[in-house]
Amino acid sequence: MKKDLKQSYGLDPRTKICLLFLCVFAALVAPSLKYEFCLVVMICLLGIYQRVTRYALISFLIYFLIYKTTAILVQINGNFQVALIAFLGLIHKVYPCGILSGIMISTTRVTEFITAMYKLHIPQKVVIPLAVMLRYLPTIKEDMGYIKDAMYLRDVSPSFLGFFKNPLFTAECIYVPLMMRALQTANELTVASITRGIENPVKRTSYIQLGFHIRDIFIVICFIVLTCLCFI
Amino acid sequence: MLTIENLSFRYKGREANNLKNINLDIQEGEFVLLCGRSGCGKTTIIRFINGLIPQFYKGKVEGKVLLDKQDIFEIPMYELSKRIGSVFQNPRTQFFNVDVDSEIAFGIENQGLPRKQLEQRVQTTINDLQLEKLSGMNLHDLSGGEKQKIAFASTYAMDSEIYLLDEPSSNLDNESIESLHDYLQILKNKKKTVIIAEHRLHYLLDLADKIVYIEDGTIQNIYTSELLTALPLLQREKMGLRALDLQTIKIKNQKPAQQNDPVLAIESLSLFYKKHCILKDISFKASYGEIIGIVGCNGVGKSTFSKALCGLHKKSSGKIFYHGEKMTRQQCMKISYLVMQDVNYELFAESVYQECCLGIKNPNKKMIEETLTLLDLMQYKDVHPHILSGGQKQRVAVAVSMICQKELLIFDEPTSGLDYDSMIQVSHLFKKLSSLNKLIFVVSHDYEFLCQCCHRIIHFDDSQLVHDFFIDNHSKELFKKILKIGGSYNE
Repeated sequence: MKKDLKQSYGLDPRTKICLLFLCVFAALVAPSLKYEFCLVVMICLLGIYQRVTRYALISFLIYFLIYKTTAILVQINGNFQVALIAFLGLIHKVYPCGILSGIMISTTRVTEFITAMYKLHIPQKVVIPLAVMLRYLPTIKEDMGYIKDAMYLRDVSPSFLGFFKNPLFTAECIYVPLMMRALQTANELTVASITRGIENPVKRTSYIQLGFHIRDIFIVICFIVLTCLCFI
Repeated sequence: MLTIENLSFRYKGREANNLKNINLDIQEGEFVLLCGRSGCGKTTIIRFINGLIPQFYKGKVEGKVLLDKQDIFEIPMYELSKRIGSVFQNPRTQFFNVDVDSEIAFGIENQGLPRKQLEQRVQTTINDLQLEKLSGMNLHDLSGGEKQKIAFASTYAMDSEIYLLDEPSSNLDNESIESLHDYLQILKNKKKTVIIAEHRLHYLLDLADKIVYIEDGTIQNIYTSELLTALPLLQREKMGLRALDLQTIKIKNQKPAQQNDPVLAIESLSLFYKKHCILKDISFKASYGEIIGIVGCNGVGKSTFSKALCGLHKKSSGKIFYHGEKMTRQQCMKISYLVMQDVNYELFAESVYQECCLGIKNPNKKMIEETLTLLDLMQYKDVHPHILSGGQKQRVAVAVSMICQKELLIFDEPTSGLDYDSMIQVSHLFKKLSSLNKLIFVVSHDYEFLCQCCHRIIHFDDSQLVHDFFIDNHSKELFKKILKIGGSYNE
């Protein structure tokens, strides 16, 4: 059991970054809606493989709805359609990359990420802020919980309806405390990391073993094949 | 080993000096305790020693800090970090990993130790600090006290020569403070140099070789534990110091002479979280003017209970009656207010005055001004709430609750990280609210504070309400036992 922990069950962070680039490219040049649908299916399968099943399934369902709506809209004519198609087109381009980034962020441990970045010889000035950001993201959810509670007690509804009724006011109520908190958290995290020598220029070692496995190669090949399909 | 010479410092953007001509000599293996009021400069000194000033926090520096005769300002951060380990106040923002083991390894990974040594160091750390139970767990599942243990372990694994701790006990319950004491004892036995800035002094007296009292950025005096204990209590309180011995604390607030009729009644309330039952079958009654302390170990469900009182917790069964009427969740939200441990979450507006009007259609100007005057906030009326000090922010939150005419006030750890003066101020505030016929619940681990102001204690353990009593000299022993006062270091 403990041996397992030292082995990373997921993919190498470098693989994930490579996948993200492939995905951006594929979404950009996607020739048809069906193709994009395949891309999303592929990403969701990857998500299930990375053990974020719930997230992958929900993302897929949402996409499926968007997909169906688009398919129906294509058959109706009119000005309204043109506007909506343009909007949905944008969503189709961005959505796959969004899901993939979500999977990446939730499955990459910060140490893994730092080690991988250093192995790619990316300068510290880039790596450290990114690492702090990666660590900060999950705390937003926690912070939001507290802020919502505080809003309920002040009779300000943080729900969608409340937002609709009074968008500026609701946004302010969320962002002011969230930003204040973010500033403090980022500061404290940075301090904790530099006093533990994150800036040390020696080659960083890793408690969790990092390296490419057959699964990394296999998945990258799958994505490359999918990307190449655009041009056939 | 460490010499501070004529050190003066002013943070960027401040007008007055934060440190004035500090001279301090620290020998190898010494245990130094820095104490004094909030904002006296304890933390600033710590930041000089671990190099955060001037490398991270900017300002105007005069004087020198020497580490083994070498100027500390010329040593890069990462070199310093090998020799000096730091533990900070907030356990939530000190860790970088998801699992305990890699977190312990984080510091030594940065030093680039070979894998074999990494594993070895992690293992010795786990053995030395008795963390076997936590090893392999997810850090997000740990309590604040346990997280702080891991933060300490990560520093311990780096095997530094000097350990710096900046108010490490602020968020801990008494049991965790006792473990912290044991860890510090290990460091002392290993002849490590320890420098700790702290408000709570009681757990450090038997360890400290030197107690440095700082006031307004200057070192006023240096004591030994014996000398400090010998000072009269009144003088120590004047110096703004917290209790040295929890055993001798007197109960200041006894049960109110006339008992009002109960206004709040809770009947067999059970609370759930993800199908787990957190609290089972809670029933009690409470009346206006009471100040009720809610105590129990970290993670026993105190926060969930306070959320439920405010109507913020969804999964519950049982009934809450107010003035004999059964309350829905929405109604609970209307009558109650939660002052969070981190008040920043509940301050939204651009000025204190606007904060008080927020969300109210026709704010009553006169009433707002009266409330602000009552809470000594009138002079800050136009100030941005986020510039205020912790205690002042707390009072703004209280002002808001009064203007919204909330009658049930719940405070979550209102005294974490507060010095004696601010703690007394909070207890005066509570008494004022009590005389205004509010019903006050306070979740806290702070024995000294609870003795100052509470009438009654409710103790949760093992997902049940196990004790409910008024504090007086009879129940004092029980109270101490519940809060686990009288650990090894007090004997």
